[in-house]
Amino acid sequence: MGKLNITDFSIKWGFLIVMGVLFTMFSILEPAFISAGNLFNILLSVCIFGTMALGETFVLITDGMDLSIGSTAALSVMISAYLMVVLELGGLVTILLVLGIGVVVGLFISFLIVKVKIPDLLATLGMMFLVQGLQYIPSGGLSIGRGAIIKNGREAMGHFSEGFKYLGQGRILKVIPVPVIIMLGVAIIVYIILSKTKFGRIFYAIGGNPEAARLVGVNVNKYKVIAYVSSSFIASLAGILLAARVGRGDVGSQGTLLMDAIGAALIGFAVLGARKPNPFGTIVGAIFIGMLMNGLTMLSMQYFWQDFIKGSVLVAALAFTFGISKKHG
Amino acid sequence: MNKEPIVQVRNIGMSFGATRALDDVDFNFYPGELLALVGANGAGKSTLIKIICGYHSGYEGKIIIDNKEVDLNSPKEAYDYGIQTVHQIINQGVIQTMTVAENLALEEMLSPDQPILYNYPAIRKRALEIAALMDLDYLDMDAPVFSIPQSDRQMISIARALASNPKLLILDEPTSSISEKEAERLFSTLLKLRDSGVSIVYVSHRLHEITRLADRVGVLRDGKVAGELLKPFSVNNIVHAMVGDIEQEAIKKEDVKSNKNVVKLELKDLVVQEGKPPLNLKIYEGEVVGLTGLIGAGKSELASVLFGVEKPISGKMYVNGELYEPQNIRTAINKGIFMIPEDRNNNAVFSEFSIRQNINMPFLDMFTNKLSIMNTKKEKIEAKRMIQAMTVKCESEESPILSLSGGNQQKVIVARWLMTESNLVILDEPFQGVDVKSRSEIGQYLRKNIGKGTALVIATDLDEVIDISDRVIVFNHGVMVGEQEAGEINKDQLIHLTSQTLEEILN
Repeated sequence: MGKLNITDFSIKWGFLIVMGVLFTMFSILEPAFISAGNLFNILLSVCIFGTMALGETFVLITDGMDLSIGSTAALSVMISAYLMVVLELGGLVTILLVLGIGVVVGLFISFLIVKVKIPDLLATLGMMFLVQGLQYIPSGGLSIGRGAIIKNGREAMGHFSEGFKYLGQGRILKVIPVPVIIMLGVAIIVYIILSKTKFGRIFYAIGGNPEAARLVGVNVNKYKVIAYVSSSFIASLAGILLAARVGRGDVGSQGTLLMDAIGAALIGFAVLGARKPNPFGTIVGAIFIGMLMNGLTMLSMQYFWQDFIKGSVLVAALAFTFGISKKHG
Repeated sequence: MNKEPIVQVRNIGMSFGATRALDDVDFNFYPGELLALVGANGAGKSTLIKIICGYHSGYEGKIIIDNKEVDLNSPKEAYDYGIQTVHQIINQGVIQTMTVAENLALEEMLSPDQPILYNYPAIRKRALEIAALMDLDYLDMDAPVFSIPQSDRQMISIARALASNPKLLILDEPTSSISEKEAERLFSTLLKLRDSGVSIVYVSHRLHEITRLADRVGVLRDGKVAGELLKPFSVNNIVHAMVGDIEQEAIKKEDVKSNKNVVKLELKDLVVQEGKPPLNLKIYEGEVVGLTGLIGAGKSELASVLFGVEKPISGKMYVNGELYEPQNIRTAINKGIFMIPEDRNNNAVFSEFSIRQNINMPFLDMFTNKLSIMNTKKEKIEAKRMIQAMTVKCESEESPILSLSGGNQQKVIVARWLMTESNLVILDEPFQGVDVKSRSEIGQYLRKNIGKGTALVIATDLDEVIDISDRVIVFNHGVMVGEQEAGEINKDQLIHLTSQTLEEILN
């Protein structure tokens, strides 16, 4: 019995304990690590992919997978820049249009999955390439900044509005970064939807047993559409935050966003022994990745180690979650 | 029985976490004997079988085969000792994407002695020999297994097990999804095998089968041997040993009187399957109607149409005198037509959810405010009420549903649909894998609480429907061939009706 309790305990608290130990270790080895400024830097470094991961959580819960969110975020960066810099539209209009495009991407993905019946992994893989390619087309493959020469040889005269840039660069009370607040706001909303409303119950039910959900009267396809649209919508919101932070439209800004976001959501399985996608775990997973990268960089880890370490953490967290729980069950 | 036992198990025990699944179990399995193993859900039958076929390696106690103590650590080892098992879950026994022939001759096909170049004609030839063991010659050898009915898949698994000349053959609920005709074929083969010296262990909830087939009945209760019965035994004394001192009387039908003046559900010239004659049926307020017939008789097709899963080909349905044309499952539910589907694990249980969450799933709107936020307190109260009413054995409403035995899980699933008033509750094979005690409790509760609603209980097992129903209807080949009121049940006639051939029906 004693052995069993240790297993239970480590499934529930193991991940948070590892995180606490690492935090303490970094603080001792490098005192600058726990300065308020650095801690906000960590949060700032995770808020883009952390936000995306929250959207991905909806899809993961319904037992799906959305591989297109990195591309959708990158497309949003380019469209934001194009609308403001080239077409000289205002910040608010730009935001609404970009979010609208996110919804359209989500609807198209849902169409492929629900109506055309392509398996989700393949449908979103295809859309990943499609959307990634789409970002190059308006600007003819070039990055967009003030004064850039766009396709027709005309110089782009518009600029990012101050209000728009505030979303990425602003600080509330001069300390707390606005995008961090936005990520936490999204997290709270997602948390409430998933654990307090009937919609959350239905999402989890579909993920657990879609046939049983159908037979208690759930319109399974409708909820799948909602999940993919939410995921794309939130990815385009994350793209807006990224565009606002850098203040220009760089091509290829998807970078490692997709892997970081999915990694955070999957690491979230291990938090508090949830063994399923959950918004709290997702945020903790994102902060864990950010903390580890920040701490190791401070201890002069070279940049080319980053992806390897992130991947190792993800594999370890998954092995921990599924390996232990399998023997357990 | 003076012979030496082929296999003996001694002081077998097994725990899963805090649950003691088996405790100090002894059995002897003799050649040329058919031992039926019975017990309520959760009594430990499956665990015992899994130990004997090498699936569970961490057991306590001894297994002795041919007077030598052996250590079974994998199914392969058990197989090498001549122990063959046909498991309950059919689709684990066949490979869906392969052909019937490949599945029948799977062992030969995967054997290391096979030539490197795949010789399908040789496999097919061997498959035909194996098929002949169970008279399966009617199967299309080249059809992929996913395209053939469940019952045929089960027959393939059984034929394959027979083909390897086992010393000990274990069958776990082999008849749960095959028709009565197929079951007869299986029985005669089993008896032949037994007479040729094979030891057979037969697990079933269908006690009538057991009284016909078994030479000896081993009863498990709460993980212990509760008794061994020798011939002659009756259903009553088996049930008595299984469930202890519970009165196993037929469900009391005086509880509810159906009101034959009020028609609740009416089917007018309803056609649910292409080319079948139209169906006319009235179900009255407070009535529990049993619908029986073999697999493929058209029972599930009718249920699908009533529950809005499929559209009828023609004809009309009326609920409380109003035309009822369900567009989908939700509209059926909103009309007060509910269905408890067949195959609890795949179609009803949310295995990651608690008992409370499982019960409340169809009617979440009962527990939400305007913002769709769930009221957990209200949920708990309702769940507790249903748990008590249905006598679900559990720690609390927050326990995971998987911590319950099969019978108690089924009570939770039934409770899900009896929480609110309804016009018609369809129960499709509600007693599959449910022990006798739970079955009687579910039946009692259903009859007491049907109120002004109605229930349609669909079951292949005649006794299951006779026990619970005010009226029994028999389907055969998509045709309603007979109807008997509770007071005038003639079982022989019902059996005759279910087993008629199509020609006999049409004449």
